[in-house]
Amino acid sequence: MLLMEVIMEEAGAFSGCSSTTAVGDRANFMYDWNEWETVSAEEWALLPSAGVVADDFHELVEAMMFSTGDDVFQGPSAVGLESVSHTASYNSSPSSMASSEDEAAVVSRDDKGARLVDLLVAAAEALEGPQKCPELARVILVRLKELVSQAAATGGATSMERLAAHFTDALQGLLDGDVGGGGRRKGSVRHSADALTAFQLLQDMSPYVKFGHFTANQAILEASAGERRVHIVDYDIAEGVQWASLMQALVSRPGGGPPPHLRITAVSRGGGSRAVQETGRRLAAFASSVGQPFSFSQVRLEPDGERFRPAGVRLVKGEAVVMNCILPPTTTTSSGSTQSVASFLSCAAAIGARLVTLVEEEAEETPGEAEPVVEQKGSFVGRFMGELRRYSAMWDSLEAGFPMQGRARGVVERVILGPWIAGAVGRAYKEAVSGEQKEGRWGEWMAAAGFGRVEMSCFNHSQAKLLLGLFNDGYRVEEEGCNKLVLGWKTSRLLSASVWKPPLPPPPPPPPCLDSSPLPLPLPLPLPLGAFDSYEISDFFYD
Amino acid sequence: MFPAASRKPPSTSMNSASHERSPMCVQGDSGLVLTTDPKPRLRWTAELHDRFVDAVNQLGGPDKATPKTIMRVMGVKGLTLYHLKSHLQKFRLGKQPHREFNDPSLKEAMDLHRNTASSSRIMGRSMNESLHGTEALRMQMEVHRRLHEQLEVQKHLQIRIEAQGKYMQSILEKAYQTLAADQGLGYNKDQVGGDQVGFVQDTMGFHDLQLFGGGDLHLDNLHQVHLNQPLDHGLYLTPNDHPSSALIGKKIMATSHDPYITNPNEKSPFNWDDEDDDDDNLHVGKQEELHQNIGNIAPGLIDAAAANGRRMVVDVYEAKPMISNAGGSEGSTKMDRPSPLRDHPLSMEGINAMLIGGSFAQ
Repeated sequence: MLLMEVIMEEAGAFSGCSSTTAVGDRANFMYDWNEWETVSAEEWALLPSAGVVADDFHELVEAMMFSTGDDVFQGPSAVGLESVSHTASYNSSPSSMASSEDEAAVVSRDDKGARLVDLLVAAAEALEGPQKCPELARVILVRLKELVSQAAATGGATSMERLAAHFTDALQGLLDGDVGGGGRRKGSVRHSADALTAFQLLQDMSPYVKFGHFTANQAILEASAGERRVHIVDYDIAEGVQWASLMQALVSRPGGGPPPHLRITAVSRGGGSRAVQETGRRLAAFASSVGQPFSFSQVRLEPDGERFRPAGVRLVKGEAVVMNCILPPTTTTSSGSTQSVASFLSCAAAIGARLVTLVEEEAEETPGEAEPVVEQKGSFVGRFMGELRRYSAMWDSLEAGFPMQGRARGVVERVILGPWIAGAVGRAYKEAVSGEQKEGRWGEWMAAAGFGRVEMSCFNHSQAKLLLGLFNDGYRVEEEGCNKLVLGWKTSRLLSASVWKPPLPPPPPPPPCLDSSPLPLPLPLPLPLGAFDSYEISDFFYD
Repeated sequence: MFPAASRKPPSTSMNSASHERSPMCVQGDSGLVLTTDPKPRLRWTAELHDRFVDAVNQLGGPDKATPKTIMRVMGVKGLTLYHLKSHLQKFRLGKQPHREFNDPSLKEAMDLHRNTASSSRIMGRSMNESLHGTEALRMQMEVHRRLHEQLEVQKHLQIRIEAQGKYMQSILEKAYQTLAADQGLGYNKDQVGGDQVGFVQDTMGFHDLQLFGGGDLHLDNLHQVHLNQPLDHGLYLTPNDHPSSALIGKKIMATSHDPYITNPNEKSPFNWDDEDDDDDNLHVGKQEELHQNIGNIAPGLIDAAAANGRRMVVDVYEAKPMISNAGGSEGSTKMDRPSPLRDHPLSMEGINAMLIGGSFAQ
């Protein structure tokens, strides 16, 4: 076993690893892998070439996560041994597999998926946690890449393999790039024709984007009924797609009469202000084409910390102000940092918003006893697995809806979802490493911070159901609380849209020694999560 | 007054299992209708079926409901799990598009009718049996209000989806124009990435359908495409794809003969008058702009398509005469009417008219 010898040699050179016994374990791990490798090549020869479609890959992932949880989450070396022996037992008798070929196909299909998941989780474990060892992670990733590219070579990668490839890349990005990794920066991707085409495809193939936009828009329409002016402060305007349908809806309001004047203030960050301006121009052109009175302005986040300054927003008397916060990225890869989003939401009362619409990614509900005990919610591995679950559900949903359009799906996966995965994994890692953990969802944060819930109307709920009905019937919408709709695929929750009103400010304390401001003093929100910076009142004012 | 077993609205009789001719029916005291032949079999009357449908809807749809829960919700004595199991299965299958219905909008209307107006039938029947006049009337109004609301939602959703599609279209075009301008030539496949050009074609093709095919086409087709697994995967035209792209072309043609598209001049219960002028002007302007753009784009794309042997894509383009006569819009197909926004609600009005008419036709 030449390879094994090489590895044994290298094992001695591993740095940052705890003890020799651990190294020994790892060597065994490698050794098992080598055996396994030869078997798997034969095994692949047994698989039918095309058409091994993993229908419910994400169910498989779920099963792997939860049912065999005990095996998987005990630390890297144990993981390696356990999982490899688990799969090795399948592989140890290739001849018996050859005999019952159908069974073998099914078994090895699940087996392949399970193997990939195991490896991914093992790699994640190796990157963080009590026994972290980057070298091990590197090796695992190499193996993963081999598996994935082999599959691609033999008969076209199945969806699980493509998904695993993206996660592998994301993890690789953590290793290579910045360990504080956000991965590749999105600047170049945005606005390029490829990205737009892929975005268009995503919108047409899944209700993911439209759900958030339409639900938020409907809530905005209802809240601003009868108003002459509407002012929307948008946290991440991206291409402005959301506002096209809002404008159309404003123009088509039943009851006739001229539409209210719509003003949009887009928040821009870093170097993105030119892109935002471009979006503003396009929206203005669209507005004039439908006859919607419109104006556009921009406000920049502070360069460091990306905090939002309400004073930068020009307010006009008599307008209904709405804050719109769509967190899942669309054409960009990264959504705002925790600090940034918190600063934005905190200013709702400061700018006199009457409504705050929030769209964010949803996590699985805590299943209770099914959740493995060892896994902490805030840990990187936990988050990593959550993302694995989420994206496998999305993968499945695309495939279920468009099983024949493999190339279209491939484009969406490559151009949009891949970068999202990288971003999500990077974020999870950064937050886990830096200890800045955000438990739960922004919705919970808002509730705790005193935001009131605004009831989701029947119209909105019906609209969501109808919208989903246009796509595959595996999509579900559920109402949660009175102000939230959750979009899910089969049993996985993907996205939620919720509607809030800002907390009422307390009676103003004596003003601080700054120039008087027309804005009511913002409520110093009780931030329940100690990791955030606390916001002094003075933070909310210029100079 | 309302004979229990006879007059059934067409939709339920199509989909329920009670086609079989049973010679004689007795109404047991449990309220169930059983046949009198040697093996008593349950007769799924319209009323029973309506209660069934209501229970199913309450439980969140035929996929979520189980025979046990349905039984509990319905609370009908004498109804066994076996009855429910088989009926549920047929109901689920019946919700799939029927081969008999060639017209997608009719099918969708049937669905809507069946599911949302069923309660009105129950109201209608129980009205005469047990309730006082005003109370029953109120309930009927409630049901109609719900029906109306549902249609409103659908209508607005269509408009909003279209608007978003238009906007995305304009962004995409600008992006490709910039790309072309930057490179000085037409679309160079290598620049964009060979695959991408294909997808541009494909997506443009699809969005042309959205824009110019009218709203009802969009919704109906999407609806059908997603439910009709066997044939209609032609949304995205990939090289290995099948002639369903031609199907899309045919569907565009077909809807122009849609019996539910009423006379444009007909006064509709839903008042579109205030938007007419604006829409007409806007859509004409926008369409022309887009026609020109597409005229510029299309030849290059079609060449590329032909070069790759992507016959399917060209089929779609040929199904839409405005493309091949780049800029000329005198085609008489539905898509060329100057106000697609106006067209679709009319077909919806047609559906609505049928529904309102239908629900009264007890």
